Amino acid sequence: MSVTQVNIPGIVAEEEAAERPAARRKIDRSERTRRIVRSAVSLVVGVLLWEAIARLVVHNDAFLAAPSAVAKRGWEMILNGELLSNTWVSMQELIYGFIIGAIAGIAIGAAMATWKSVSDYLEPWIAGLYAAPMIAFAPVVIIWFGVGIASKVAVVIMMVVFPMIINTQAGLESTDRRLLTVARAFCASGPRIFRTVSIPSAAPFIVAGMRLAVGRGLVGVVVGELFGSRAGLGNIITTASSVFDMPTLFVAVVTLAITGVVLTYLLRAVEMRLAAWREVA
Amino acid sequence: MIDAPPQTESKLEVKGVSVRYINKRTGAETIALDDASFSVGSGEFVCIVGPSGCGKTTLLNCLDGLRPVSGGRILVDGRPVSGPGPDRAMVFQSPSLMPWRTVLKNVTYGLESQGVAASEASERAQKMIDLVGLSGFESYHPGELSGGMQQRVNLARALVIEPEVILLDEPFAALDAQTRELMQAELLRVWRVTKKTAVFITHQISEAVFLADRVIVLSSRPGRVKAIVDIDIPRPRTLEIKHDPLTNQLERHVESLIDSTLTAEQIFAAAGD
Repeated sequence: MSVTQVNIPGIVAEEEAAERPAARRKIDRSERTRRIVRSAVSLVVGVLLWEAIARLVVHNDAFLAAPSAVAKRGWEMILNGELLSNTWVSMQELIYGFIIGAIAGIAIGAAMATWKSVSDYLEPWIAGLYAAPMIAFAPVVIIWFGVGIASKVAVVIMMVVFPMIINTQAGLESTDRRLLTVARAFCASGPRIFRTVSIPSAAPFIVAGMRLAVGRGLVGVVVGELFGSRAGLGNIITTASSVFDMPTLFVAVVTLAITGVVLTYLLRAVEMRLAAWREVA
Repeated sequence: MIDAPPQTESKLEVKGVSVRYINKRTGAETIALDDASFSVGSGEFVCIVGPSGCGKTTLLNCLDGLRPVSGGRILVDGRPVSGPGPDRAMVFQSPSLMPWRTVLKNVTYGLESQGVAASEASERAQKMIDLVGLSGFESYHPGELSGGMQQRVNLARALVIEPEVILLDEPFAALDAQTRELMQAELLRVWRVTKKTAVFITHQISEAVFLADRVIVLSSRPGRVKAIVDIDIPRPRTLEIKHDPLTNQLERHVESLIDSTLTAEQIFAAAGD
């Protein structure tokens, strides 16, 4: 074996390794455009089909509103401020509930990952409550906290806290033990190890939990409002359905869908940023 | 075996160190290291070799203070080791880099823990990155690097804190043969520049002979210091000397000292490596 030439293949291999990510990013971009185009085509075709069925098959606004009728009603509701004020009420409920639920969930999950005893005490409750349809408690919560914003915030917290606990705990427990040893070997203090190793390891799990939780939180808002409220998108839905006002009902539903998509997309973007190093790893 | 004669120049002293641990499931006690004694002079490069499962890594973890000893003492500059400290730095077997940190940020990790100001840390890290041949890769993430480059970062991360003693746990074991030889030569180059005391664990005899001033041979479990072999190959060494008759003679000598009869347990442990 020739020893003098040994450094040349070594260095070539290393340069190849370094060039890979850039090439991969380029492929990602054209693939993404293709996916966006397909999604757009699917949406347009779906809406046209819906319009056709409403106009040519159903002929009855009380059963199915055509997209054009929904758009018209939506525009009116935007102009008279009705849509924005009700959406704002629902958003407030979601944001407060989400923030409180997420912070509590992260704290409880972190405590469970840090201390085995805490985990032992809480595990059965969390397993049970996460599996149970929390939405079934919504009427009880309305009775306890009234028809105002507080009851809906409480429902959202209940929906959000469990996926946050479970993901935070799983994320922290999946931390690479070797990295914990490295941190210890380089004289990092306990809190510093937690901040520089455990948290970054768990961050993608926590954000994935948030993405899951935001969807559940939105369900909590609407169901809470259906059971008792003075305002909000859920309130529009109950009020409109009681008088068979399909266009108004659909405006609320479409607004909820858009909100859900936007929030999930935002969290997805955060997730991609946090886990940028994972793409090539 | 209790006390080595006092050496004025010795940087690291290992005095009658034993490590025992108890298997939690079976309750059986395993003696990983038994009464190991040796010393390493200032600026010396020592390699520790021995059969799989002889407690080499355990010994290194004790030297770094990551694992307590059951008996005996470890002294660095006469001060007993009680835990990890800035006077020692470990180069781990797997690169164990933080995948979310860039190369530069991985190298500054130890300095950050010591409270070194960010600008000074970056400056020192940059010098070390240049030294290990990674200039231009500062902003890369570990996932974008080859195995050899990751080990260079692993080495730079340890050297940058300017430890008295650098501990290396089979850092090249996972590399292909060619990269491994390249990295051995690179390590000697970097070591000559930094002049650190080095303790390097390996089970590859040719690697030990190529790198070391002295090779310490551990016996199979429980690990004891079986022999210490002086490697008087002149420095600076290049990869060509691996084919020198003197080198080959030393390799054969070290090989003859290593226990070749393996117990079933050791074969099992080796298969799991």
